[in-house]
Amino acid sequence: MEEAAKKGRVTPLASLFPVEEAQKAVRRVHETLSEKEAELDQFRGFISDNTNLINLVQKLPEGLHHNIMVPFGKAAFFPGRLIHTNEFLVLLGEGYHVERTSKQTVEILKRRGKALESQFESLKATMQDLKAEASFFGITASEAAEGLVEIREDYVEENFTERESQSGPPKEHPPSFSEADKVKVAVEDEEYSRMMSRLDELEKAELEAEYGNERHEDIENVAVSDEEYARMMSRLDELEKEELEAEFVNGRDEDNAKLSVNDEEYAHMIARLDEIEKKPETERGNERDEDEKIKADFDRSSDQTSLGKINRFSESRKLLERTKDKKSATEETLSKRDTQKDLTGQLNCTGLTVQSRPKEEMSHGKGLVQSIMKSTSLEKALVLPEVKENVQAASSSRSEVSRNSGPTNPGIAQALGKEFPTSAPRAPLQDSKPGFDSRKAFTGSIIERAHNIHTSSSQQAATSSQSTGSQPSKPVSRFKMQRR
Amino acid sequence: MDSFRQEKVQRYEEFVDKRLKPDLVKAIAERDKVFEQQKTFSDLRRNIENLEKNSVTSLRTMVNLGSEVYMQADVPDTQRIFVDIGLGFHVEFTWSEALNFISLREEKLARQIEEYTRLIASIKAHIKLVCEGIRELLQLPADGSLKGPVF
Repeated sequence: MEEAAKKGRVTPLASLFPVEEAQKAVRRVHETLSEKEAELDQFRGFISDNTNLINLVQKLPEGLHHNIMVPFGKAAFFPGRLIHTNEFLVLLGEGYHVERTSKQTVEILKRRGKALESQFESLKATMQDLKAEASFFGITASEAAEGLVEIREDYVEENFTERESQSGPPKEHPPSFSEADKVKVAVEDEEYSRMMSRLDELEKAELEAEYGNERHEDIENVAVSDEEYARMMSRLDELEKEELEAEFVNGRDEDNAKLSVNDEEYAHMIARLDEIEKKPETERGNERDEDEKIKADFDRSSDQTSLGKINRFSESRKLLERTKDKKSATEETLSKRDTQKDLTGQLNCTGLTVQSRPKEEMSHGKGLVQSIMKSTSLEKALVLPEVKENVQAASSSRSEVSRNSGPTNPGIAQALGKEFPTSAPRAPLQDSKPGFDSRKAFTGSIIERAHNIHTSSSQQAATSSQSTGSQPSKPVSRFKMQRR
Repeated sequence: MDSFRQEKVQRYEEFVDKRLKPDLVKAIAERDKVFEQQKTFSDLRRNIENLEKNSVTSLRTMVNLGSEVYMQADVPDTQRIFVDIGLGFHVEFTWSEALNFISLREEKLARQIEEYTRLIASIKAHIKLVCEGIRELLQLPADGSLKGPVF
């Protein structure tokens, strides 16, 4: 939109033809018009006089004399007679008079009449022109007053990729982000974040409306989703921890390329997880099989870099966030924190991986659920550490998971670690987790997360994150289905 | 303060331009009409006196038929004259009666003229007063500014 505005020139008509000036012109023309009309009337009078005189001159010779009242000055009359009824003294102009007979006078008068008529016609034509001018001025004045705008746009063929990347953000599902878009991410980030924030606002409003409706209905679902959510959160914590450790081992500066690569793998994994989410909960058995598949994918460390996958990852994360929000008031208050939202994101990342091991962690999940349900702390950060502790205290399966996700986790850990200036201790890790989501590690996910940060900073985090999660809502999450 | 002053000045100017000056113009126009009438009657009187002096009984004249086309006319008896006394009436007078009437008429016209003159004078005085007020309003700040450069 900005580009379109830059290309075109919008000139309000009022600037070209100022309203007052146009109106003044209209008035001037009207005045001239009225003057001309007065002259026209005068001419008409002259012509009628001439005609009458012709008649009179033709009639007078019929008699020898005519009794008349002869004026004497302006205020007195003398009774008298008209004599020499066929002799007329006609003024030709410039002090010249001629004596003419009636017939000749009539001819003179007729010639005069013709001259008058031609003048009359020319005056009429002038008046017509003035009328047209007045109407033009009037239209211009009214248009300028209305605020009519003249828009000139140079015809420029738009850059295809630009258009694509521009159209990407506003869509609810930007799975079609291409490589080119990545390049333009830096440029588009601002715009995108703006649009996303707007979308977030709208979705937040929707969700809040939903809240009121659904809060009462979803307790059972909430319990179940709590379970899964707890699992995911614990998984996320695990992954983060590992990433942090890896980061300090490897150093931060090496990670950019690896991050993107790892992002891709991660996104891929998340995509698969999303697919899993679509299944109903009763099919957890199948999930187990799929989880192994996912594991394999993980190990493969695929090179697919579609931002769409990353987005889906963030989508599912946001969905999880949403479900989390719907659970309880505490969670809502928790979600209000920016950090919490980001944390949730991170947790979701790990949570999704956790999800791939539903069976292994179910018991833990339940315990976690209880811990979460009982938690009345307003800080999600506090809850998360609890979850994390529980998770860490958990079985080897978790470590297994962490090991399996090792190839990708270091990248993630690096990504996470990169965000954290200091993250060795757990507690600070929790607190600094919000930094994770700040713009840097994942190009694609940056958009999502940074956008999350922006929006959350301005509004309630949970709903906004949920709203962002709802944008790429095509992979319908299990939780979402439960909710509805 | 300045804006208040300016507003007053503007109001005064408006009053002058919109009320007093048109009134003045109208009064002057009316007076001019009366002047003309007066002139007419004085001309008539002169003519009648001339006629009387020369004992003119008949008259040959040119009558304007319209658009400066003249025709000869003859007045056989100049004793009787019809004078316009106003409201579209013309009264038949003898010369002496006519002269009498004309003098009366002239007096009346003179009085009218005097009235108009007084009216015009009062309007002019009003205009002058308002102008003086405006000048006073403007002069005070003007004086202040003038004093500045002096010192």
